[in-house]
Amino acid sequence: MSSSWINTRAWLLMLPLLIVMVAVIGWPLIDTVRLSFTDAKLVGTSGNFVGFDNYLKMLSNSGFQRAFLTTTWFAVISVTAEMVVGVAAALLLNQQFYGRTVLRALMILPWALPTVVNATLWRLIYNPEYGALNAALTQIGLLDAYRSWLGEPGTALAALILADTWKNFPLVALIALAALQAVPRDITSAAMVDGAGAWSRFRFVILPYLAGPLMVALVLRTIEAFKVFDIIWVMTRGGPANSTRTLSILVYQEAFSFQRAGSGASLALMVTLMVTVLAAIYATVIRKTAGAN
Amino acid sequence: MSALDIIGVRKRYGTVDTLKGIDLSLDSGEFLVLLGPSGCGKSTLLNIIAGLAEPTGGDVRIDDRSVVGVHPKDRDIAMVFQSYALYPNMSVERNIGFGLEMRKVPAAERAEAVKTAAKILQIENLLERRPSELSGGQRQRVAIGRALVRNPQVFLFDEPLSNLDAKLRMEMRTELKRLHQMLGTTVVYVTHDQIEAMTLATRIAVMRNGQIEQLATPAEIYERPTTLYVAGFVGSPSMNMLDAHIADGVARIDSSDVVIPLPYETSAKGRPDQKLVLGIRPESLRLASDGEAPAFEANVEVVELTGPELVISATVGQQRITASLSPKSDIQAGTRRRFALDADALHIFDKETEKRL
Repeated sequence: MSSSWINTRAWLLMLPLLIVMVAVIGWPLIDTVRLSFTDAKLVGTSGNFVGFDNYLKMLSNSGFQRAFLTTTWFAVISVTAEMVVGVAAALLLNQQFYGRTVLRALMILPWALPTVVNATLWRLIYNPEYGALNAALTQIGLLDAYRSWLGEPGTALAALILADTWKNFPLVALIALAALQAVPRDITSAAMVDGAGAWSRFRFVILPYLAGPLMVALVLRTIEAFKVFDIIWVMTRGGPANSTRTLSILVYQEAFSFQRAGSGASLALMVTLMVTVLAAIYATVIRKTAGAN
Repeated sequence: MSALDIIGVRKRYGTVDTLKGIDLSLDSGEFLVLLGPSGCGKSTLLNIIAGLAEPTGGDVRIDDRSVVGVHPKDRDIAMVFQSYALYPNMSVERNIGFGLEMRKVPAAERAEAVKTAAKILQIENLLERRPSELSGGQRQRVAIGRALVRNPQVFLFDEPLSNLDAKLRMEMRTELKRLHQMLGTTVVYVTHDQIEAMTLATRIAVMRNGQIEQLATPAEIYERPTTLYVAGFVGSPSMNMLDAHIADGVARIDSSDVVIPLPYETSAKGRPDQKLVLGIRPESLRLASDGEAPAFEANVEVVELTGPELVISATVGQQRITASLSPKSDIQAGTRRRFALDADALHIFDKETEKRL
């Protein structure tokens, strides 16, 4: 068979998928880029060409700057917490004890639940009148009176981060657990005989085995956290006083609440660009770590 | 003074008794080999000495101090694993020095100790490398270096040579023997390879089903095995085991008319018709000269030249025997020949108790 026919056949086989991809990803992306240079509204006018106006306005807009900071804060804190809690949980679940299998299965539950369910559960926990958190904290004497955790700008973002960490640490734990099981028993035994305590064994012997897989988890989680929308939309809708308004929420509000399709598109492209940069940085780091081993 | 005492050690996993009461005492400088097939409990015993497993009962004493419940790092032992168990992310130098690093030995002193160990093992030029850049034999040297540098009371080896190819295994065996002679360390060494056991050990404990079947010097294990099991486990080709019974004060080999005279003590103690197993090492058989006795006739079926010896497969009645002869022997397959043996080369076992008579 000639190589040109093999080539042609390959393209023919991929053609249906290519058509679908162009239709649902390619075309909308190109149209979004076009929209971002116009002052189009969601309904009505198709808009006039305004050049880089949308972008310039956005960058100087304090709402955007604040949303960017909120998003970064949310991503850094929640991903860090997820990594720490996830690895700790994996180390625990890697021990031999009765009921380990049941616990491993249970651990996946928060991650397996739909985000909407998870977010609704946490809204109940944070409820200012009958929430479990208020009840627990007042009963053990840490709190004098019930508070509205999601209603106060000072606590809303922290409450969201806690909920998001709870939901997503199982993914990190699962990846870490799989990596832990690949650590040869002889190696940890050798470290014990060599006199390494629990912390040294983790730091010098086990962690190097986890580094690669954890890097993947870090990439996935950071990108997802940067794009976060659903859990915030269900719990606070970006409030109170925009204290939990992340970039994705801002995009939604701009494009659909305020119906400014043009500037919404420019915002969305900005978020896409940031996530792409993040992904590129991580890809480089991963290639380097892989090369080092 | 004994360096290591194992007193009535038992280990039970669930309902399985892996070790059923082990007693051992090891003098300083001894090289003890725990020999047995997989599942006999030898690795479990080693792990109990190391502190990687705790005994269900009994006591382990190192330098006359009970170490049951003591963390491995506080037992004054070092261990070499079958898989080498090198830390893949560390250089050879750090691998060897890791035990000292964990014990907070100052860096300069540590570097000196690593250098000395590397010199002994001839791996000085590898110190900068990672384990993944080493061959199997080099990795094994690093693993030994890691144990050596700690200068412990007892060295533990868990089948250290079984991942190496045959030629390298022989080299490392000699190397280990050289090290032991040079350093005079106390060693407990686990293997299923009887050649390793015979060549390295000052004493061998042959283990079976969680018990020690025989504990003796290699020569004694070879020359006076106390049970059929030990007789069959040690020696290559393995010992011929001929079913026989006592008749009129001599041993008659079953399904043949061959009779072999028994030593006076055996025939005097033996019951008429008592079932025996006659053990004859292949290397103690030779072609009989005219009129020589004791001797028996056998049908030669296969003749194999291995180089240093000629291995003969033959039948006596219905039973098969093997003989290792000089490579110059004049013998052909398909012939019937007489084989002679020295009376003291005969190992006589009771078939029921499997014990030496």
